[in-house]
Amino acid sequence: MEELIQHLAPLLKEVVGYIYPNEIELHWGLLVVVYPYVTGLVAGAFILASLVKVFNVTELQPTYRMSLLTALAFLLVAPLPLLAHLGHPEKSFEIFFTPNTRSAMAMFGFVYAWYLMAVLLLEIWFCYRKDLIQWAKQETGLRKFIHRTMSLFSSDVSERALRFDRKAVKAVTLIGIPSAFLLHGYVGFIFGSIKANPWWSSVLMPIVFLFSAIVSGIALVLLIYMIATPLRGKEMDMACLNKLASYLFYVMIIDFSLEILDFVHRVYESEESIEILAALVTGKLFISLIVVQLLLGMLVPLGAIAMAKLLQMPNDLKKMIYFVAALLVQVGIFSTRWNVVVGGQLFSKSFSGLTVYKTTFLGLEGLLVSMGLLVMPFLILYVLFALLPPWEESKASLEGS
Amino acid sequence: MPEETLPLSVSARSQESELALGWIMNEFDPNTALSSVGRFFRRMLERWKQFPEQVKRLTVLLGVVVFALLTARTMLVPADFGKYGHYRASAVDEIAALPIQYAGHEICNECHDDVVETKAAGFHKNVGCEVCHGPAAAHTEDVEAGELLAPRGREGCPLCHEYLPSRPTGFPQIVSASHNPVKPCIACHEAHDPKPPETPKECSACHATIARSKAISHHAYVACTRCHEAPDEHKEDPRSFRPSKPEARAFCAGCHDDDTAGKEGIPQIDQTTHEERYVCWQCHYPHLPEAQ
Repeated sequence: MEELIQHLAPLLKEVVGYIYPNEIELHWGLLVVVYPYVTGLVAGAFILASLVKVFNVTELQPTYRMSLLTALAFLLVAPLPLLAHLGHPEKSFEIFFTPNTRSAMAMFGFVYAWYLMAVLLLEIWFCYRKDLIQWAKQETGLRKFIHRTMSLFSSDVSERALRFDRKAVKAVTLIGIPSAFLLHGYVGFIFGSIKANPWWSSVLMPIVFLFSAIVSGIALVLLIYMIATPLRGKEMDMACLNKLASYLFYVMIIDFSLEILDFVHRVYESEESIEILAALVTGKLFISLIVVQLLLGMLVPLGAIAMAKLLQMPNDLKKMIYFVAALLVQVGIFSTRWNVVVGGQLFSKSFSGLTVYKTTFLGLEGLLVSMGLLVMPFLILYVLFALLPPWEESKASLEGS
Repeated sequence: MPEETLPLSVSARSQESELALGWIMNEFDPNTALSSVGRFFRRMLERWKQFPEQVKRLTVLLGVVVFALLTARTMLVPADFGKYGHYRASAVDEIAALPIQYAGHEICNECHDDVVETKAAGFHKNVGCEVCHGPAAAHTEDVEAGELLAPRGREGCPLCHEYLPSRPTGFPQIVSASHNPVKPCIACHEAHDPKPPETPKECSACHATIARSKAISHHAYVACTRCHEAPDEHKEDPRSFRPSKPEARAFCAGCHDDDTAGKEGIPQIDQTTHEERYVCWQCHYPHLPEAQ
């Protein structure tokens, strides 16, 4: 009790206006912010990979496998913030064994499992099968065993089998695009369907989430490509970078338009909540929404990429602009998730007051755990890159052997 | 029953059965049947062999995963799950088997009818006995063994009567830190028939939320009685004798009309043109008029 009072006392000093007693402390904290952010990166990275296979964007070929592995690394981490937030991770299997079909949250387990097992792992397996067989042939010891096991001890590299692999990849990608939409659209749906909360309750929410997810996914793959390539001592493919930046720019325009549409719609509709939402946006969320999300995360990167496209400039300067823009986009999209999750709980259901959110550094809901969860996908990605090198040359050298 | 009296359908069915039996006895060849089954499986095996190697391996893996999941589900999900709803049916019996703690307020009347009668006429008529005295099932079984709680300090009453802005106006509320500190509540109040020991002098004794809002507003120095006429009986029986509320625009205009002289510093309006379709309180909260 003493601990609770010590926790609530400083919050109470910053409460503005009238709020109900159970609204002082937020129930969804930083971990629930991390969850839609990470899930969005998965969906975005996968949709980028799909561009190569479905729309045959050859310039993006160097990032195809990288995107798939990025999506996998982040997907493996995606449920962890929820498990940490809910506690009792040992009970999580129960949503699979006794599914509650009337609960959208419970159905996430199936959306996740479908996306992981039927889409991502399958596409990666078909995509890498030939390479796994060939790598295993040249290797010895543990590495050989791992690659043999990953290929499910497959050995057929005949032209017929390879043709089947290519067809299967295409088919899985086609199923994968609506699945990726479902995965992140669902996250938006969870918020959008809470009709008691005017900050969340919007039919546009799933689609806004989806496009912001694509924005963050493309920016992430751009960043990983720009960091991993020089680390390997290779030259970046400028055509690929330009194409990535173009796609990032186009999707950001759509995302920006949707967010403005949502904003205009709210203002025009002007429901009874509009005054408290206005107070929220101009007060507690001013820095994270207007400055970070809108200005730094959207307008500055849009302007920077447009400048890099329109003006003649050296490639090195372009690379720098793309890198900074992608970094800002990541900060902006994280801020978007923050503004949705935390912002939606900062105002009272009485529409007469605002509370405050302060995160702790330690503890399960603290900053340290969230940072750990955000670093974890990169560690997984490092291992995946070591086991399944996505680089063009690792493919080419084996084809020649 | 003679055969000609049987219904036609029964007779036809028995003929069919006889024919089938006859076919089994005379024409069915077990070797031919076995070879047909064998041919079917051979065909399936040939089809399976024609499948791409990848599909075979994935099918086996999928089979293993599905089998593992189904086995785990069979082992881990209780047999009676879902019988009544999305829960384990035997949980209902387990919960029903828990010892009963509360007796309900009717049974108290059997021994404590005088207290029940007093309580039924007072403000606490809707508060169950066990709210203050705790679970009484054991007490009703054996008076000696199951002793009840009797809150005699200051710990019980503030649970309902401590000041909280979300409590309804008119509900008696105190700030226990400043309301006769240290003194037990029952020293002044009879819990079974609670009444203030003396008639409240200030409106704020019951209308604490309004008093707190008004105290920080521009109306801080306007007495409650300036706008409300409260009969004396209101203090004794607040719901039967309600205070009046100003209803006409002219009342507020008494201070706020621009014709009113000698009212420096008070916001002035022309009541003939200022939002003439509304009464004042539709836009202005009189206890905190500067609030938006």
